[in-house]
Amino acid sequence: MQTVTLIPVMQSKISIEAETITPNNFAGKTREEIENITIWEGNHKTRLFEFFKIALEGKDSPENTKIIINGSIPRVKRVGEGMTDGMILINGDVDMHVGAKMQGGVITVKGNADSWAGREMKGGEIIIGGDAGYYLGAGYRGESCGMRGGKIIVFGDVKDYAGEHICGGEILIKGSAGLMPGISNNGGIITIEGNTEIPGAEMKKGTIKINGVVETLVPSYKQEDDEEIDGIVYNKYTGDVVAGGKGSLYIKK
Amino acid sequence: MSELLIKNGRVFDPINSINGDIMDIAIKNGKIVDDISLSPDTKVIDASSMIVMPGGVDAHSHIAGSKVNSGRIMCPNDSRSGIEKRTKITRPCSGYTVPNTFAMGYRYAKLGYTTVFEAAIPILHARHTHEEFGDIPIIDKGGLVLFGSNWQVMEAVRENDIEKLAAYIAWGLSASRGYGVKIVNPGGGEAWGFGKNVSGLHDTVPNFDVTPAEIITGLAKANEMLHLPHSIHLHCNLLGKPGNYKTTIETMKLLENIKPSMDRQVVHITHMTFNAWGGTNWGDFESKADAVADYLNQHDHVTVDMGQLIFGNATTMTADGPMQYANARLLATKWTNGDVELEDASGVVPLSYIRKMYIHDIMWAVGLEVALLTKNPWQVLLTTDHPNGGPFVNYPEVIALLMSARKREEEMLKLSNKMRDRTTLSGIERELDWYDIAIKTRASHAKILGLTDHGKGHLGAYADADVTIYHINPDQVDAGREHATVKKAFEKPAYTIKDGEFVVRNGEITATPEGRTFWVNASVPEEDNTRLMKDLRLKFRKYYSINLANYMVQDNYVKHPVVIKAGGS
Repeated sequence: MQTVTLIPVMQSKISIEAETITPNNFAGKTREEIENITIWEGNHKTRLFEFFKIALEGKDSPENTKIIINGSIPRVKRVGEGMTDGMILINGDVDMHVGAKMQGGVITVKGNADSWAGREMKGGEIIIGGDAGYYLGAGYRGESCGMRGGKIIVFGDVKDYAGEHICGGEILIKGSAGLMPGISNNGGIITIEGNTEIPGAEMKKGTIKINGVVETLVPSYKQEDDEEIDGIVYNKYTGDVVAGGKGSLYIKK
Repeated sequence: MSELLIKNGRVFDPINSINGDIMDIAIKNGKIVDDISLSPDTKVIDASSMIVMPGGVDAHSHIAGSKVNSGRIMCPNDSRSGIEKRTKITRPCSGYTVPNTFAMGYRYAKLGYTTVFEAAIPILHARHTHEEFGDIPIIDKGGLVLFGSNWQVMEAVRENDIEKLAAYIAWGLSASRGYGVKIVNPGGGEAWGFGKNVSGLHDTVPNFDVTPAEIITGLAKANEMLHLPHSIHLHCNLLGKPGNYKTTIETMKLLENIKPSMDRQVVHITHMTFNAWGGTNWGDFESKADAVADYLNQHDHVTVDMGQLIFGNATTMTADGPMQYANARLLATKWTNGDVELEDASGVVPLSYIRKMYIHDIMWAVGLEVALLTKNPWQVLLTTDHPNGGPFVNYPEVIALLMSARKREEEMLKLSNKMRDRTTLSGIERELDWYDIAIKTRASHAKILGLTDHGKGHLGAYADADVTIYHINPDQVDAGREHATVKKAFEKPAYTIKDGEFVVRNGEITATPEGRTFWVNASVPEEDNTRLMKDLRLKFRKYYSINLANYMVQDNYVKHPVVIKAGGS
């Protein structure tokens, strides 16, 4: 087991691009090597030790590597991008694009995550203890596929467009979601325990389940017979008819 | 300026009938010269066992203007690929199907191309095209201007006033600083304003009482009356619809009796990949490239280009608005349509061509079939209708496919069986040689555009010193077997020389001069012009959103113009 602990020592007002913070990149490296890993502060190339105090225990492969970030890093983006294995634990908040393109492993954020968490992720798991921003598990601008696999759990609320263009995988939101969750859903599963608005617009396939109140529903959904899932009775709809879709939308009765 | 001598290269210069002879090419002050006296300042390149060709010319590509920009806006995802950092002399690049302006110039130069023509400029948006031209480094440019669904054109055709039509073309080319007459789905762009399309050559355009056939023949006559360097350049009606080969051939027949005003074709019909289709629907969709090629083999008044399909991402963009709408509905993808006031329509639809989808497989075969079944290599240009069939950076792939039956066979193994049954490609053994490739990638492009007299597409004395040297020895490489080597050589020329200056060495940009822009200034009799201006003033007052005085592209938008004079008598 290899455990790397990062303690933020300096907060930057400028965003930091830190796609290099992954178990894949840290595994098997010495403390000095990890300290010298490149990150970008705006357009300025810098190194990890400028912003973090680093402690290292053990030396192991990516699947046995755990990164602990002890503190909030609200301006550090792309943490865990593309990781395939191992664990990241953030004891605080994190900036945008956490776990983007992630393929495996687990990221746990104790605080809030900003927008685009789990963008285009393919596998693994992201657990967010607080709230998440816009475009949770969504696609990059212009792409036709967002999240393709894996699981995201958010214990708080999320903002608009959660699971935009999701093509696979699962999103579970314990709180409420903003506007248009699951827009252009093409095969993903989204569960929202709280309230939301305009879910599933242009959904082609996949499932959206809502246990709270839906303020507005797009008119282009066809109502089916009620269905009971896990003891809860749902209004079931299929659509979005506008997109020739065959997705299922469940809203608690 | 410096002198340059390219020694002992294997020269392929089809316009001067030079077929692989070992020759020296001498360059002085940016022009090819017969001979130079060696001085200590003369740079000498040893090109022995290398191929020397004129700089590449592309007569049909979409490199600049509002459509290309719509593509960029719609596809922010496209700019995730093709990212190249800036260097000391180049600006940063991004994109694959719709690269940024700088990348357009660098990438063409890196393929050995030095002249590229934008194939669709609405007059109203020409200023935008020229602004992008100004930002495309290295290559020389020019543009074809849309006339096919234009009110003024259709009215003149209805009145059968070819003189006034010619006057309008001359005025439109001058207003847009354009080079030639482009016609896209004639009449269809106007019908689309009412949610309709024209269903064939003899269907009437709503409110104008003219047919596409009349528009095409009218414009062809006016084009020849003006002695324009290029013929009409036509995107046929019913493009993108199964069974359209009949319309394509009918269109060619329509123009059999029109006399060209100079030694060239009467019509250039573009992107055959989308026009030579049989069947009645997508279910019985098949290739009819053989029928089109048969016609081409018997008639020399038509030239065509391939518009070869490349598997992977493409961004289709055309003035054919209704076709693009149908495309977007069929594919359930994002789309945009535009209306250019009194002039035309437009549409952009990004898509992916996928192997084993038999419709795409057959389309892939159509372009190759037309190129291989047409006997005269001068009649079929190599293009991908960038970025409709695929991005131009794939030209080396197309060259390798044309030169190697084995490569085609290898590729066909990855495709659907329906493709084999519904095309003739697997029975074609023809392999093009280096000379044919030089024709299809430069000489014929220049000839068809009417640019040979203006220094393009050949290496004769006084031609522009645009030269490409490829790192491949035709004596040692059997292109049929070693197609990978051929592709590699065309992807990375040893040198690209533009106006006597090295712009690329071993695939790296070494200089970024600004290119020129060709446009045609045609004179017409004053009385025709007077009649025309009366019409135009009325149109601008009643219908256009801008003033006549603000319409013309000002000279300061055109960097380094080359004005080619034309006009009757």
